[in-house]
Amino acid sequence: MDEDVLTTLKILIIGESGVGKSSLLLRFTDDTFDPELAATIGVDFKVKTISVDGNKAKLAIWDTAGQERFRTLTPSYYRGAQGVILVYDVTRRDTFVKLDNWLNELETYCTRNDIVNMLVGNKIDKENREVDRNEGLKFARKHSMLFIEASAKTCDGVQCAFEELVEKIIQTPGLWESENQNKGVKLSHREESHGGGACGGYCSVL
Amino acid sequence: MAADSEPESEVFEITDFTTASEWERFISKVEEVLNDWKLIGNSLGKPLEKGIFTSGTWEERSDEISFADFKFSVTHHYLVQESTDKEGKDEESEDAIPQSMQDLLCMNNDFPPRAHCLVRWYGLREFVVIAPAVQSDAVLSESKCNLLLSSISIALGNTGCQVPLFVQIHHRWRRMYMGECQGPGVRTDFEMVHLRKVPNQYTHLSGLLDIFKSKIGCPLTPLPPVSIAIRLTYVLQDWQQYFWPQQPPDIDALVGGEVGGLEFGKLPFGACEDPISELHLATTWPHLTEGIIVDNDVYSDLDPVQAPHWSVRVRKADNPQCLLGDFVTEFLKICRRKESTDEILGRSTFEEEGREVADITHALSKLTEPAPVPIHKLSVSNMVHTAKKKIRKHRGEESPLNNDVLNTILLFLFPDAASEKPSEATTSIDNSNPPPEGEDYTLYNQFKSAPSDSLTYKLALCLCMINFYHGGLKGVAHLWQEFVLEMRFRWENNFLIPGLTSGPPDLRCCLLHQKLQMLNCCIERKKARDEGKKTSPSDNVTNAYPGDAGKAGGQLGLDHLRDTEKEKGEVGKSWDSWSDSEEEFFECLSDTEDLKGNGQESGKKGSTKEMANLKPEGRLHQHGKLTLLHNGEPLYIPVTQEPAPMTEDLLEEQSEVLAKLGTSAEGAHLRARMQSACLLSDMESFKAANPGCSLEDFVRWYSPRDYIEEEVTDEQGNVVLRGELSARMKIPSNMWVEAWETAKPIPARRQRRLFDDTREAEKVLHYLAMQKPADLARHLLPCVIHAAVLKVKEEEILENIPSVKKIIKQIIAHSSKVLHFPNPEDKKLEEIILQITNVEAIIARARSLKAKFGTEKCEQEDEKEDLERFVSCLLEHPEVSVTGAGRGHAGRIIHKLFVNAQRLTESSDEAAAVVLPEEELKRSGYPEERRQNATSDFPPPVGRELILRATVPRPAPYSKALPQRMYSVLTKEDFRLAGAFSSDTSFF
Repeated sequence: MDEDVLTTLKILIIGESGVGKSSLLLRFTDDTFDPELAATIGVDFKVKTISVDGNKAKLAIWDTAGQERFRTLTPSYYRGAQGVILVYDVTRRDTFVKLDNWLNELETYCTRNDIVNMLVGNKIDKENREVDRNEGLKFARKHSMLFIEASAKTCDGVQCAFEELVEKIIQTPGLWESENQNKGVKLSHREESHGGGACGGYCSVL
Repeated sequence: MAADSEPESEVFEITDFTTASEWERFISKVEEVLNDWKLIGNSLGKPLEKGIFTSGTWEERSDEISFADFKFSVTHHYLVQESTDKEGKDEESEDAIPQSMQDLLCMNNDFPPRAHCLVRWYGLREFVVIAPAVQSDAVLSESKCNLLLSSISIALGNTGCQVPLFVQIHHRWRRMYMGECQGPGVRTDFEMVHLRKVPNQYTHLSGLLDIFKSKIGCPLTPLPPVSIAIRLTYVLQDWQQYFWPQQPPDIDALVGGEVGGLEFGKLPFGACEDPISELHLATTWPHLTEGIIVDNDVYSDLDPVQAPHWSVRVRKADNPQCLLGDFVTEFLKICRRKESTDEILGRSTFEEEGREVADITHALSKLTEPAPVPIHKLSVSNMVHTAKKKIRKHRGEESPLNNDVLNTILLFLFPDAASEKPSEATTSIDNSNPPPEGEDYTLYNQFKSAPSDSLTYKLALCLCMINFYHGGLKGVAHLWQEFVLEMRFRWENNFLIPGLTSGPPDLRCCLLHQKLQMLNCCIERKKARDEGKKTSPSDNVTNAYPGDAGKAGGQLGLDHLRDTEKEKGEVGKSWDSWSDSEEEFFECLSDTEDLKGNGQESGKKGSTKEMANLKPEGRLHQHGKLTLLHNGEPLYIPVTQEPAPMTEDLLEEQSEVLAKLGTSAEGAHLRARMQSACLLSDMESFKAANPGCSLEDFVRWYSPRDYIEEEVTDEQGNVVLRGELSARMKIPSNMWVEAWETAKPIPARRQRRLFDDTREAEKVLHYLAMQKPADLARHLLPCVIHAAVLKVKEEEILENIPSVKKIIKQIIAHSSKVLHFPNPEDKKLEEIILQITNVEAIIARARSLKAKFGTEKCEQEDEKEDLERFVSCLLEHPEVSVTGAGRGHAGRIIHKLFVNAQRLTESSDEAAAVVLPEEELKRSGYPEERRQNATSDFPPPVGRELILRATVPRPAPYSKALPQRMYSVLTKEDFRLAGAFSSDTSFF
């Protein structure tokens, strides 16, 4: 079953507690919505294979707890992630304000710097919106992230968010190829051999 | 006939190729290739710009064809050009002579510094070569050569290709090519003569002119003018006036580590030999006509000093021995060794004895020991001390590292061993000094190495040094063993390891660094626990190195300390930390202090045990103005256990376990349960700190968004704030509720440890002991590469070479890609090291050149600047022209270099033997007069190149006037004439 899978990607979902991280994930993996989903303890884990542009990618998605106290535990899981989904709740401004902290955390704990970040404003089905779409856009632009608004409840934008993220990861050179997958000739090789010259040589007289 | 029969013939005419011979097939294959590459017809390009052969890009494409079973490769070499303008093409495409023929006469690219030989000889911008595909194959017999030539002639004729087509004949090294170029009514034959011995009449211009003229066979009188370009190349090999200053470091002198800049922790740098071996001066007369100068067998006008154009190139020594490169390469080699530390040191024997000693001296301790602990736990301190002795005794030879070296290294790695009150001092420094920020410092992020001031980094450098200078692999194994013992010693005696930032393992660093940090975490916790518990009994045991360590006359404090520890420390060793982890409680210093501070508030702690659940314990501080919902008491944040530090391999393991639970609901539940230990512990601490609290209180601290407050208007019309748990917290028997119900009010310090430092420390120590030198080298290679890059960077700053800056950036980018993978391929690592070595060589070259040209000595500011620019150009470009030729500033310096070298050769010649110059004379074949003439300033030229050009009708006076060209090169053991002679194929 795994044979035609191009690669396995590690994706992390982070954000303040109660913004709907687990719900987004549940919507994506099982296409269901549970209004009474228990608060995550530590980290949770789900797998899903999706196909983007004909490339099959297996996603190992780590869902983390948003509580302050668990935060000392979760940075360990940032390691080796290729994509991060940063979630806030459009109906709670404080979850948006705290995004900076999360970005700091990302910067501190991520082991690589070319990781793809996506910002998701969740719960757009609710009426008491506190964070405008434009604010989210602005924030995402400032920190060069992907941005989408979504609702785990109504399913809006969820599938799209994950697909977009995976596509971006696959387009980022060097981010997802593991050592042995990378069989192509390196450009640097070519350049070097070029200088050396063929034919017995780009030679000087002597 | 043409008009109406043509379409029919296309349909019905059958061409039969079934009986075609191998030869015919070969020709058609050649044609096919030419067609494929679209080399058909004439496409006139722009006239060649000056220097375009060097500055432009050359590309090539090849194909393979075979003649019967003999394989040939066909290669198209061409200068990449912008597509030609269409207008020009329309006008002249029909009758114009082919581009290549026109290029024969172009003078803008004579003597290109770097080019394919055919370009150099014929000035072509595009050509196709057919050569045997197998390196060792050669077309030798004359009939075969002719057959090939006929083939290309036919192929060119059939296809109408105007690109010159060459075949390579004879052995490859002779670089013999014959070729042909065809255009409408014209043809150029490319011919070649290649000789070992030079006939005397061809060593000078007049003789060559004679050949050229006879070859053209021009019937006209007077002959159209022949244009001449000459270039003489002189080589300077003796840099007598300048000695290469860098001597290989004196190894014997290296005791104490101060000599020759080779301290431990520093990397050596530079080339051991002069990386610039030769200087080539090319003196060129680019445009002469016959009669302007005289150059014959008795006299020559060609005085290099008078040449209108000078250019210089330097010959770099092939792979100069570079210290840094060698260093790193040797270190990489350890990665491939398979032996374990024991095998290398023959330790099995010494371990035996070590255990023996342990058994005897510590029999009593063993009895009283509460729990069995791993081997040589007790004997460590004296084992370290005796390790060398044992090895020596057993093998009857010196231990790999002598005492002085070992002590120097240990002192370098563990500077706290020398000072009083060591561990406290160093750690406080570590903590108070925020790590320096900066691109260089954070390089370890990219390399996954370790910070440049860390123990790991220093260890890597020491091992590198030892591997190179002190006993190679054995020395490495020895030091590693000492290091591991030191780690154990520190763990057992509660000495923090210096040179590591405190806190949990930094996952951005290499695994070994993380392991050491982990060990430090364990030591820290154990120490805190021991100090917290031990109030009186062990106070007399100093947990610091004795103050008189420094006085120990030559004996290193470390060893000395071990002795003292052994004597009086054994008994006082913290037994409690060895007890079974099950009974271990988490306890930390801050907790106890806190308790004391909070004394009056929490009520006099003491014997009223039955009231324990009412007495608050383990409070950290008040949580804002929050009060408990039920009794209105202030809500306190409890002292909590810190989460377990993790190294990346543990983490990997853990996440694997968690992932293995699968994605089912049960799996998720189990996963949550496994991770709820921390939650439970926090709940217990919370309950202990806040007697009478409820889950709501806990949630308000722990997950405030799960406590929802609403303004409600009650019956009296007052606005009241009413709160309740969020829906998800109210799910019956969800894990939070479940945990809350099980949680007992126990303060953190009396809870079971979440992090079992004893076990983790043992695991780390075991891991360290298991590392073979090869594993160790793999762990530390990123650090070594990191250090090498920093070293190269540092040296570059002194010289300021822009190209090197660029390469260093590339190296960093490349390495960070390679080193981020857990097991980088050797080939890629070698590549990185090679790049570093190259940079080192470039810098060494720059230094060598600067010294040779005396840029430092130059007094006038503008001249100095010019000279520096000239020198840096020499490094970056294949050939640099000298402004002002022999009369410019740089020119005068070069002239002087040659004069000095000449003077030295002469004097040594005179001193040595009189026979020698004569012999040389014969070999080089120069008439005596000329030699005399040249010796004044310059040696005889090692290369004489000439290009003769004319536009002459051929073969008959009424033929079209066509380009003719002959190139000749004469070196010491090689003479070559390469002629391109065109003739009219319509009027002859």
